[in-house]
This record gives sequence, structure tokens and C-alpha cells, in this order.
Amino acid sequence: MRLNRLDLIRYGRFHEARLSLPAPPAGSPDVTLIHGPNEAGKSTAFNAFLELLYGMKTREHRYAFRFDRADLLIGAELDLPGRGPIVLRRTGKRAQSLTDAEGRPVDEALLAAALHGLGREAYLERFSLDDAGLRAGGARIAGAQGDLGQLLHAGMSGLTSMAGTLAGLAAKSDAFHRRGARSGVLRAGKERLAQIAAELRAARLTPDRADRLGAARAQAQTAFETAEAALIGARNAQAAGAAAAIWQHESAGIAQLEMQLAQLPAGPDLAPGTAERVAALLATISAQEARAHEAETKAARHATALAAHPEDPQAAALALALDRLDALQLDDAPLTARAATARTDLARRQAEQATFDAQRTALRNRLDLPAAADLALTPAALEALGAAAQQARDAAQKEQNLRAAHAEAKAKIGVQPAAPKDLSTLEAALRQFSTRADLTREEERLAQARAQLGTASAALPADWSARVAAGLPAPETLVHLVQAISAARADLVTAERDGQARAAEYAEAQALCAAVRAAPESTDAAQIEVTRRLRDQAWTRHRAALEATTAEAFAAAMQADDAARAHYLTGAEARQALAQAERTLALAEARAQTAAAVTRAASHAVSEHDAQARRLATALGLAPETAPEALAPRHAALTAAAAAAAAVEAAQAAYEAAATQRARAASALSAAAAAAEIEATPDTLAPRAEAALVMQTPMRSAWTRWQADAQALEKLTAACAAAAVAREEADQALAGLTRPLALPQRDAEAVLAALPDLRALQRLEEKTGALAQRIEALSGAIAALAAGSTQIARILGRDPDDPLALIDTARLRLASAQVQARARTAEAAAEAEARASLEAAQMELRAAQAALATAFEGQEGGALAPAQRIAALGQRDNLRTELRAANARRAAARAGVDAALFEAEQRRLPDPSRAEALARALAEAQAERDRARDVKVEADRLWREAFGAAERGDLVTEQAVVLEELREGARAAALAQLGVLAARGALRRLAAERRSSMLRDVEAAFVAMTAPAWTGVDVWSEAAGDKLVGLRPDGTPVPVEMMSTGTMGQLYFALRLAGYRNFAREAGPLPMILDDIMETFDDTRARAALTLCAGIGTVGQAILFTHHAHLVALARAQIPGVNVVEMPR
Amino acid sequence: MRLLVTADIHLGAPIRSAALRNPVLGASLRQASRDSLSDIVALAISERVDVLVLAGDVFDSAEPDLKIRAFLIAQLARAAAAGVETVLIRGNHDALLDHAAQGALGPKIHLLERARPTVEIGGVAFHGLSFERGHQQASFLPDYPPPSPGRRNVGLMHTSLEGAPGHDPYAPCAEAALMAQGYNLWCLGHIHAPFARRAGDVLAVMPGIPQPRHFGERHGGSVALVTLGEGPPELVWHPVARLRFVEARPDLSGCADQSERAQAVRDALLAAQSPAQETALRLTLASAKQSEAELAALAAALCEDVDQVHIDKLRRIDPPRAPGTAAQTDDLIRLMRAETAEPGFRQAAREILAELRQALPREIAEDLAETALDDLLSAALGEVSAELHRDAARPEDG
Repeated sequence: MRLNRLDLIRYGRFHEARLSLPAPPAGSPDVTLIHGPNEAGKSTAFNAFLELLYGMKTREHRYAFRFDRADLLIGAELDLPGRGPIVLRRTGKRAQSLTDAEGRPVDEALLAAALHGLGREAYLERFSLDDAGLRAGGARIAGAQGDLGQLLHAGMSGLTSMAGTLAGLAAKSDAFHRRGARSGVLRAGKERLAQIAAELRAARLTPDRADRLGAARAQAQTAFETAEAALIGARNAQAAGAAAAIWQHESAGIAQLEMQLAQLPAGPDLAPGTAERVAALLATISAQEARAHEAETKAARHATALAAHPEDPQAAALALALDRLDALQLDDAPLTARAATARTDLARRQAEQATFDAQRTALRNRLDLPAAADLALTPAALEALGAAAQQARDAAQKEQNLRAAHAEAKAKIGVQPAAPKDLSTLEAALRQFSTRADLTREEERLAQARAQLGTASAALPADWSARVAAGLPAPETLVHLVQAISAARADLVTAERDGQARAAEYAEAQALCAAVRAAPESTDAAQIEVTRRLRDQAWTRHRAALEATTAEAFAAAMQADDAARAHYLTGAEARQALAQAERTLALAEARAQTAAAVTRAASHAVSEHDAQARRLATALGLAPETAPEALAPRHAALTAAAAAAAAVEAAQAAYEAAATQRARAASALSAAAAAAEIEATPDTLAPRAEAALVMQTPMRSAWTRWQADAQALEKLTAACAAAAVAREEADQALAGLTRPLALPQRDAEAVLAALPDLRALQRLEEKTGALAQRIEALSGAIAALAAGSTQIARILGRDPDDPLALIDTARLRLASAQVQARARTAEAAAEAEARASLEAAQMELRAAQAALATAFEGQEGGALAPAQRIAALGQRDNLRTELRAANARRAAARAGVDAALFEAEQRRLPDPSRAEALARALAEAQAERDRARDVKVEADRLWREAFGAAERGDLVTEQAVVLEELREGARAAALAQLGVLAARGALRRLAAERRSSMLRDVEAAFVAMTAPAWTGVDVWSEAAGDKLVGLRPDGTPVPVEMMSTGTMGQLYFALRLAGYRNFAREAGPLPMILDDIMETFDDTRARAALTLCAGIGTVGQAILFTHHAHLVALARAQIPGVNVVEMPR
Repeated sequence: MRLLVTADIHLGAPIRSAALRNPVLGASLRQASRDSLSDIVALAISERVDVLVLAGDVFDSAEPDLKIRAFLIAQLARAAAAGVETVLIRGNHDALLDHAAQGALGPKIHLLERARPTVEIGGVAFHGLSFERGHQQASFLPDYPPPSPGRRNVGLMHTSLEGAPGHDPYAPCAEAALMAQGYNLWCLGHIHAPFARRAGDVLAVMPGIPQPRHFGERHGGSVALVTLGEGPPELVWHPVARLRFVEARPDLSGCADQSERAQAVRDALLAAQSPAQETALRLTLASAKQSEAELAALAAALCEDVDQVHIDKLRRIDPPRAPGTAAQTDDLIRLMRAETAEPGFRQAAREILAELRQALPREIAEDLAETALDDLLSAALGEVSAELHRDAARPEDG
């Protein structure tokens, strides 16, 4: 592949910019130097070239700042092997982004084949180099320690981190596990697993452990029960001892109590509380006697006081007369309290009444009422009258307004226009026809598809479609075949070369063997046997014949035998040499045969692949002898042509479908036009229909407007009628209200005008009525007061001149009589109370004396005063109680005690130390039982906890997790070790495979760059593999890792150039992009580097970017025919 | 009658996933198998089933722990107290269910074995035979009792049927013969992936493992609710697993830079999220430029922001090759492949694996068996290539 031109149509800051890279004149190296200052867009151009080849980045695009990503466009003219120059463009589309110059999609396989299947990153790694990459690559290959395989791989692939990668993988594996190491992930993990296993074993409740726990639990239970029984026995013995002691003690006390009882009065036990009751009775008797005496004295004193307060005989009549006077009321108050002001109030009210009469007369005159007319209206009637008058006025106004609006609308409406037709069907048909009428787009697509088919099939044989129909091989098959043929041919060359070497080795071994075998000293035992047998045969013949001839023959045979024996005796070393030569011969023969077989197999493989290539070429319509590299392009062309043919078929079908739809739409439009009475030919049908629809619009608007006006007039007519009815109803309602009134004018306006005077008259009538009622009440009250005072004067026997003074005298007399009466009532009540108390005291005294006699009933000791008697009886009963308690304690001590133990303890009494001995025995039994109980509780706890303990899920889970981590770690370690093993083997193979073809290029480039400091490179064979060394002018070898940084960078450059040449030889050249790699070189090295670039240009295409003007001059001087291009602005 | 059918609870067995290194998840799932049994009993009570059926492999450990047996009894007693009877058989992991050695399980808990193969509950006859030893190579079916006349008949069997991937043949049995036994329902155990078969009115249900323990058991996670009426048995699956295993296989080869790779991985993590369960995700990432360790670090960082999703394992695979590209242009890969075909290399590789196997705990040593050599070599070549290209120039990435 060669880049002839790069078009930056819309990309980065560029618009319609172009970089031309014309092919050099014949015989000149293909080198283009693109010069531009910093920020001129060299990196942009480089990236554009990559995106042309591999497509644009799918998401955010760093060069989409002047144009949107979707509008980015790159173009280029590429010279493709087997196809020639082709112009391609790359758009920002997500699909079919590779097109030709006319924008037609181009299959990506076209470029993929030209790029030999290299992906974007592989292309970057192999075919681009900048200054930073050069320096970093030089530094990194030092890590290869001169390993030839690693260095050649770096040169071919551009990947320089092989040493670091292999070391990293090995370190990863070692970190996980290394034999003999004391640390590591695996070791730590296993140690943790062992800890977990131990903890889990300890936590596990195995059947054996459960059995042990169960046995311990049963044993503890038995021991506990035994100790418990012993404790009970000790307790029983102690109880028996205590009971016996109590029995003895209580028996002595009982005897003493019985003696005391014999000294006291006999009789039954006093009932409970008898002593207290007797004491209370004695106190009651004493108290009641004192109470009777006091009551008797009190009754005599109250009788004397009653006689000192006599009764007033006029008090009842005075009280009755005063009550009548107090019942008289004025203004909700007693009349007697207001008697002085009532006479004054009466005179003032009578004057107000005269004023109101004068005002009423004036109002009636203003209303022009007849003298006898009654116009007393209530407030509600007045409000109803006012509302009716207002309603009648409003109804009349509304009717008047509506009639004016009706007259205006009637004058405005004009003549009725004609009604429009329904053209909706015509409109729909016309719309349908309009969308189907234009077939231009389908025709263009069909034409475009046919053109594409023509282009795609132009270079193909006539029967290409039949070949496509018959089936094409898979594209991968073609790629694989090309690679297989290349590999097979390389294998054949190698095998033939190896076969020739092996054949030469075989011939050499044959010659050596013959020469050794020809030497007399190489005689072996078999030959001696032969010469001896020949000598014996000659002797036998001579002894039989005894002739001269037989004698000579015998002599010759004997000499030959003697000579052979002599040689044999002196030829041990020669025989060893012969044996070695024969072994060498056999080995060489085997190797030669193997090499011949390998050569035959390689030859057969080449033949097979060639045959397959011929078959595929024929299948693709090419001549059988066509180069295999041409198969893929032909396959791509056939595929593209097949796709184009399919596109033509699809476009044809689309066109026919559109035409059918157009005919249907025209038919529907014609029918709709006929229905609308439109006369037209097929050509004028659409315009006529459209004109009819256009004309229909104003007609429909006028018709709609007239209909709206008519509806409005009709509504106004109805509203006028309704207003007239409302006005009449309001007038009738007002007339109904004014009919009974004596008003001279009764229409709405007159009523509304008279309303204020009517309201004033109504309020005045109300005040006059209330005032009359007041005057009447005052007059009645004054008369009643005079009548009452006359009666009081008669009772008191005095003159009734001043009623109020008379009333006061009567009130004083009555109050005095009432005081006397209250004193008499109190003294009578006190006397009665004293006499009742006396009677009650006497009765209670008798009852207490009877009860006291009952309390002592049946008891001796009657000679004693009641207090002493009850005390003796109480003492007796207390002694009897103590006696019963002593008996009870003695019985209680005996109860529940083992009879035998009790009797035994009784027999031991008196024994002062017995109680202590029993207590000690009990304490010992208690301690033993408690210990056994604790053991049992602990055994139970262990049992319960063993079954109820939480499962160690944490440990089990951690165990599983650690195992999973070790599983992953082991896999990673295995991958690392296997990867390193495979990589090292592959690098050895690479060194063996490429050293002959690449080493010369490496040495030439290295020397060209570094002369005269370095004169060549060499390869050392070491146990670890072949190592590359540099050679000084005096022949001193220098390991790569001992070179300076600059020298290693130059060696890396040399390796990359050799890699490029190797790729170009084997697969075909691709453009090599070198971005300012010489900016750190001095002029001498820069010249050398430019010469090397020219070397690239002899086998491929070298594109150099630089911003150094002096490098441009150097290039022009150093590279004949170099093409210098300035970056577009 | 309503039955809750389950099997293969494997009490005591842990969940085997590196995801449990997460402390919260590890703590919540450390008793996963016990929790699973508790949940199943709670479900049986809340669903008011009549019988809980355990078709073998209630336990797991080869080394018996009576605590687990005590736990089982406590749970089944809880079910019995709520009126749910239990019928169970021993599987190949159930030595702890030995009545003779460990005593009876309790009231309303019926262990079926050769001495007592049938129990009748609510007019339904349950038939079952228990494993007497760890491995049974012969079919149990000929020894099952004939169906009880006039009854609905339910069979319990722990069997590998006619063989299943990942399961040794235990008490193998032809499915056709099973369905022709005359029972109405077969409750099976041993195969951890659930399934159900019908033949006429006969239903056979393999409930699967209720709580999957690793990725290989990802199809489990449910129990079967079966209604046994007059017609064919009705079956409803009910999920019970607290943790599920799923797989995602995003292709990162089209990602231009690290942010696009991160987005693709994040999308896969979010797609794996389930609101009802924790998820252990097996990530298989197609990438030619990143090593497994690099991808694992990326996925782990992203996973921290996605709730309830955890990385179970991560694998890197080579991406599918685009049309027209060819790996043969990579000399190193080509030569490594040639090298790995050499007998001498393979012998050295086998020795590497043998040494690692010898150093590894025996439970995981077989992961590096010689039969895995080709797969490991393929992955190893990819790792070398990915590591090599990791540092190569990538202008767009920078």
C-alpha cells in the first residue's frame, strides 16, 4: 500500500486542505518529508491517516472542535496492491463510513486486505515511530540483556516491554508460590487454612464428643442424687435432736403453769374481748350517771327563760298589709321604693305625647292623605313595597334595552348566501395523489443502484453473477490460504536448504567412511576370519594337489592372512575411527533421509496450497495461475458486485410499488372529482380539483358567518318577549301591594318617591303607642299605694296622712314582734332537748348494768369488785393459753420427725454437745450436696452449649473464601509460568527463524548510524540463548546492556528498520510514519538516519514529519528525489 | 393436600465465592444453608402446607457435627408445632440421619427407609428409601413399595436419574420407569439444577438446591409448592435464595479508552443488579489489551458503587476477531502456539502444573489437572499478549 494523497476536507482545524505525496521518479527512494512548525497540525494529519484506514473514534472526538463529529471528512488516494490507485473517503457515520470519491459505500475488507489484517494498534506499533518512542524503546530493550529473540521481536513488532513483561509475570508467579520460599500467598493461605481447620475441629460436636459429654452429665446426676440423700438424712437427724430437746424443755414449763392455775377462780374461759368489754361497761355506767344529772339541771333553766318573752297580738295583721303593699310593682321594682318619683314621671310623659301628635299630623299632610285614612304599615310591608317598586322599574329598563338591540341586529343581517358543497372526499383523494405522484426519488435510486452495479461489476467477467450464485469461498479462507502459501513456501525453502546441507553432510560422511575403511589398519576380526578361511581352503587344495599353482595360491593366501593379522594387531585406533565414521555415516544418512522427507512434505504442502489457490482462482473467475494475493481483492469485488445487484433489485421493486400506488391514487382522485361535478382530463384533474378546493374556502366562510348572525337575531327576539312578560309580572305585583293603601299615586316611580315619608310615619306611630301605655301604668300605681296606707293606719289606730311614714312605723312594729317570737322558739327547743337527754342516759345506765352481770355469768369470784374480778379471770385465761401453746410446741417439735430417731435422741438427753454434732454433720452434707449440684449444673451447661453453640459459619465461610482465592491465585501463577515458558520458547524460535534474514539489515543500519564508533554486530551463543553484541572497531564485543543510552536508541532504530524491511519483503510494504525522530541527532547521525529512511523508501514508503528546517535541507542533500511537502495553513 | 418440596439443602456447606471476602456480605451469608432451612420452614408455615418434603442431602459435611442435627430437629419441630409434618429420606451426605446411632428426630417427622418405607398422612401415602451408605450404584426403584390402593401416592427418591453433568451416578434410575411406578408425584433430590417432568397425570419434580453455593449451581435457588388434588399435581416454583450467581460477558475490544471500558463494565454490573437478592457476578471480559489482573482491579473499583452486586470471578478472553484481521500477523502469538505444541514444552508445562498441584490444598489441586493444560495455555498466551500491548503507544488513550 502507498499513500498518494491525504485530503483533510473537514478535520481538526483543516478545511479542504490537501497533502500530496506523489510517487518518486523511477530509481529514487520513496521518501516524503512533511515540514511545518510546531502546532501546524502534523499530529492531526497523522491521526487523520489512521482514521481513514480504521474509522473514526465512536464517542467524543478530539478533532471535532471546528466541525461537528458527524461532519468530519477525510479523503485519500491510496495505491493498493493488485488494484492500483483508488480514492477513498472516511466520514463520521457509524456505519458504511468508508466511501469512494462519490460517496458510495466501500467494503472495509478492501482496506483490511491491503493492511494484511493489521489492526489499528498493531499498525501504530509497527509502522510509526516518534522521538519519545525511540528513546523509550532504546531504554527498554536494555532490559532484554541482549537476548536476540527479544530484540528482533521488538524490531518487528515495535513492542519493547518484553523483558519487563516476562519479569513481571515471573514475579507474579513467585509472589504466589516459589519452591523453597518461606513466604508467599499460597503459604500464607495454607497456614490460615490449617488454623481454620484446627478451630473447626475444636468446635465440631462429633458423636464421640457428644457421648463423652452425655456420660459426664449422667455421672454428675448420680453423684448429685447421692449427696442429696445424705443431706436429707443429716437434716432428719438434726430435726430429731432438736425435737427431743424441745420436748424436754416444754414439759417442765407445762407443770409450772398447771400449779399457778389452781390459785385462780374457776369457770369457763372468758370469751375473746371480755376484759375489754367489762372495762368499757364500767366506764359507761359512770358516764351515764353524770349525764343524767346534767340534763335535769339544763331543762329547769330553759323553762325560766321562756316565760320572760310574751307574744304581740297585731303582728299578723301588719305583716299581711305590708306584704300586699310590697307586691305592688312599677318598672319591675316595688312601688314603695319609687312612690316619690312616679308623680314627676307621669307629668313629663304626658307632655311628650302632645309633641308626637303634632309631628304625625304634619307627615300625613305631606303625603296628601285623607283625614280619616289609616296608613299604619309594618316595617316588613314597607320593605316589600319598596322591593316591588324597584323590580317594576328594572324590568321596564331591561325590556327597553333588548328591543333596541333587536332592532340593530335585524338591520344588520343581509340576504342568505348559497350553501357550500362537501368536498372532503375530493380533498383526501387529492392529498393521497399528491404524496404518490412524484416517482423521481425511486427513479433516481434505481439509476444510482444500476450505476453502482455497473461500477462494481466493470472489472469482473461476464459470468460473475453465476459465480456468486454458485457460492464464494469464505474471505477468511482466502486470507488463510495466502498466509499458508507464504508459510509453506518459506518452509520449503528452509527444508530444501536444510536438505542440501544434510545431503552434503551425508556425502562427506560417506567419503570419510570410505577413506577410513580403505586404510589397512582398519582391518577388523571378520576380515581376519575371511583371510584365515581363504588360507585354510588354499592349504586344503594344495595338500590334495601338491602342485606349484596351488603352492603359490597357498603362499599368497598365507601372506594375506599374515598381513591382515599384522594390521589387526596394530589397527585398534583405526578400527575405532572406522566405527565412528560408520556411526557418523548412519546418522548423516538418517538426517538426509529426514530432510528429504521434510522437503517432500513441504513441497507437497506447497503443491496442495497452490492447487487450492488454482481452484479458488477458477471459482472466482480468475486465471488458475493468478497470484493468491489477488484472490481476496477479487472476492471483495465479487461480494461488492453481489451487494450492488441486490441493491438494484430492491430499488426496482421499490420503483414498481411506488408506480402502482400512484395509479391507485389517480383513480381515486378521478372518482372524487366526478362526484364533485368537476370536469377534467387526467392531466388537468389535479389542478382542477385543487382550484375547486381553493374556491370552496370563501364560500364556506360566508355561509358560516350568515348562519351565526341569524342564530343571534333569533335569540334576541326570544329575549325581548321574555323581558315583556317579566315587566308585566313586576307591575302586577306592585299594584297588588298598593291597592289597599290610601296613596293618591301608585305607580313605581311615585311609590319609590313616597317611601322615605312612609317609613318616618311608621316609626312615629310606634313611639306614640308606647308612650300611652307608660302613662296608664304610672296613674294606676299611685292609686294602689294610697289604698294600702289607709289599711295600715286602721290596724295601728293612727291617721293615714303620710302613707310612707305610716308604712315605716308598721315595719318597725312588725320587726320587734318577730325578734320576740324567735327567742321563744329557741328556748322551747333547748328545754325539750335536755329532757330527752336525761331519759336516754337513764336507759343506757340500765343496759350497762345488765351487760356486766352477763359478762360474769358462770364465773367464780363474785366477792371481788368487778375490776379485780375481771383481772383475776384474765390472768387465769392467759395461763391457760400459755399451757396450750407449750403443749402445741412440744407436739410440733415431734411432728414429722422420724419416730425411731426421736426416741433415740430422747434417750441421749441430756447431752449438751449433741446439737453441735448434728449441725456439723448437716453442714458437711450440705457442702457435699452443693458441690455435686455444681458439677451437675456444669455438666448440663456443657451439654446444652455443645448442642446449642452457634455454628462457626464465619470460619467455614472464610475457609471457602481462602480456597477460592488460592484457586484464582494458582490459576494466575500457572498462567504466568506457562506464559513465560511459551514466550521464551517463542523468542528462541523467532531468533532462529529471523536471524539470517534480519541480522544483516540490523548490522547495516546500526553501522550506518554509529560509524565509526561501531563496526558491526555479532551473536553469542550462550546457554540461555543467543545474545546480540556490538562490535568496536578493534573487534571488541560489547553487550547491549553495556551500551550508552544513545547507542541503544540507535540500535532500536536499526532493529525497527530491519523489522520494516522484513515485513515489506514478506507481506508487502505499508507507509512508515516517522515523527521528528531526528530532533536529538547531531547532523552526522541525522544524515545517517535520513540515509536509512531512504533505505525504507527503496522497499516501501517513508513519511517523515519534522518542524526542523535544517533537516529539510539535510534530507534534500542526503536523499535523491526526496519529496518535501509543507503543512497546509 | 399442599406440599413444599425441597432437597439438597447441604446444611453446613459454605458458599464458595471470593465475593464473600466482602465483610458485610460474608457476615450475612455465613450461615447461608441454615438460613435457607429456616426460610423454607417459615415458608411452609406461612403457606399453610400440610407436609414438608426433604428428598435427601439435608447435610453436607463428611465429618458429622451434631449441632447441625440439633438445628435440623429444632427447625422441623418448629414446623411440627405449626401443624406441618415432615417426610424425609437420607441422601448420600446424610449419615447424621441414622436413627440407630443418633436417635429419633421427633414427633411429626417421618424418616423413610427400608425398614419403614411408607407413611400415610391425611390420606396420602408417602414412599421412600434412604441411602444406607455413601454411594449406591444400583437403582432403588425395584425396591419401592407398590402404590397404596385408594390413596394418592407420593414417592421420595435421591437419584441422579439417567445421569446429569457434574453429578456422579447415584442410585441411577430410568425416568420412564419412574413415571410408570404408579405414584402420582415423585419428589426427587441429588441434582442441584431444578426441573419438572410430566407424564400424563404424573409429576416428577427435582427442586434443586435452595441456596446455590457456587457458580456451577446458579440455576438453583427455589423450592417447589405442589398441590395434590384430584387432577394432575399443580406445581408452583418459589424463589428462596438470598444470593444468586449470574454471568455477564461484555466485549471491551471496541472501547477506545479506559473510560469507555469502565462504562461497559459498569453497565454489566448494573444489569446484574437484583432488588430482591444479593448477586455474585461471573465477569468474562473480552479484551486483547488488558490483563486479567488489570481488569479485576477495574471491576473491583467499579463494583464498590453498585449495591448488592459482588464479583465472583473474572476471566479475560480474547475478543472475537474482526472480519479481515488475522492473528497470524502477530509473530509472537504464532510462535508461542507452535512452541506449545512441542512435546518438550508440554512436558515442562505438565511439570509446572504438577509442582503447583503438589503445593496446593487438595480441594483445589485438580483445577490444574493435566486435562486443563490446553485451556490454561490458551489463557496464558492471551495474558502475555495483553501484558505486552498494555504499554504500547495508544495516542487516543493519552
